[in-house]
Amino acid sequence: MTLYKLRGFLLRLVSVSIICMGFAQAAPAGMIGTGHLIESEARAASISRVEVLLAHDDVARQLVALGVDQATVVERLNGLSTAELLELEEQIDDQVAGGDALALIGAVFLVLLILELVGVTDIFKSI
Amino acid sequence: MPALLLLLSGCASIPEAVRELPAGAALELDDAPFYPQERYQCGPAALMTALTQSGADVALDNIVEKVYLPGKKGSLQVEMLAATRTEGRLPYVIDGTLSAIRNELESGRPVVVLQNLGVAAIPRWHYAVVVGIDADRGEVILRSGTDRRRITSTRTFLYTWRRGDYWAMVVLRPDELPATVNRERYYAAIAALEQTGRLEAAALAWRTAENRWPGDPVVLFGLGNVESALRNFAAAETIYLALLKLDGSLLVVRNNLALVLAEQGQFAAAINEIGTALERNDDPALEAELRDTERMILAMRAAGQ
Repeated sequence: MTLYKLRGFLLRLVSVSIICMGFAQAAPAGMIGTGHLIESEARAASISRVEVLLAHDDVARQLVALGVDQATVVERLNGLSTAELLELEEQIDDQVAGGDALALIGAVFLVLLILELVGVTDIFKSI
Repeated sequence: MPALLLLLSGCASIPEAVRELPAGAALELDDAPFYPQERYQCGPAALMTALTQSGADVALDNIVEKVYLPGKKGSLQVEMLAATRTEGRLPYVIDGTLSAIRNELESGRPVVVLQNLGVAAIPRWHYAVVVGIDADRGEVILRSGTDRRRITSTRTFLYTWRRGDYWAMVVLRPDELPATVNRERYYAAIAALEQTGRLEAAALAWRTAENRWPGDPVVLFGLGNVESALRNFAAAETIYLALLKLDGSLLVVRNNLALVLAEQGQFAAAINEIGTALERNDDPALEAELRDTERMILAMRAAGQ
């Protein structure tokens, strides 16, 4: 491993341990989780603890990059189930965020107005 | 015109199962609290309504910190669920139908919904809270944005809701069942609560589930696992044994039973259990976990615990 890669690996390991300290450890080591008996949770239930920690680390960094405060990111992640954590890790870029952000490009305003009038959309308040 | 048609494509009819509503008296939760939203913060505002209605003691600023994602100018659905759990409540994604919404309202629970107020090509994602429904007038009443009562035709509501795949959630107290319950989804919701370390809440929820479905293996496993996590090993042992009486083939239960026996210093019994599990196992994925457990138990015995 080159020195550069080693440094990257060590930094990653350190950040994982920092996150570990705030990580909710629900079950004693070796216990098989309830999710194993629930079909929709089985995949998440069977991944290793290390993979969970790495996903945790990965998503934490992505959230911080998206503007979440370092101090609160661990608490936020603690509320996620393992399946949700994995989902976020894989798809955070594709996930929608409800917030009313609207990128209006001038020419489509008229189209939206028509759609609003026929009741397909509900963007404008008093129409 | 072609552009307009393109934008309209996807306006095909809404499935019957989604839009059917039994005729009934109009329903509205007048006292559901209202939190007029700040810019981009419809997620926190909507979640606050549902959380405070469920009796949680929460502050808007705290919720904003838990769900608002500045880089996306909004809130992710999974974080709405996560924040609910950190406030000691059980988030549950309900069936994507109007009658499921109505049933929740009838139980006194407002429903948080994700809407795309625009179209697929020009989306405007938004969270609102359904607090009322009137089948006869064909109207849905929402706490939405800065409107305490935004009255929308059912038709328009369905279009906006469909684009979000009919996503809707309620905030349950741990001892509450959803009005329309999908058992597997409900169990997954409780398991998620367990995973996030909300053990007392998870225990309460599993006991609620047990009342409803006595003897269900998933419920008993959940209860046993919560007791183990709380380090009530004797209680966990009792539950696992009862579960194995119902279904002796559940090797995952044997695994956990072996561990709680070891935790109580009963090493011979523990080794016996894990040995049985290994003998009977033909699932390669489970093999590694069972072997790890065996190693752990032997190590615990050697350490003279």
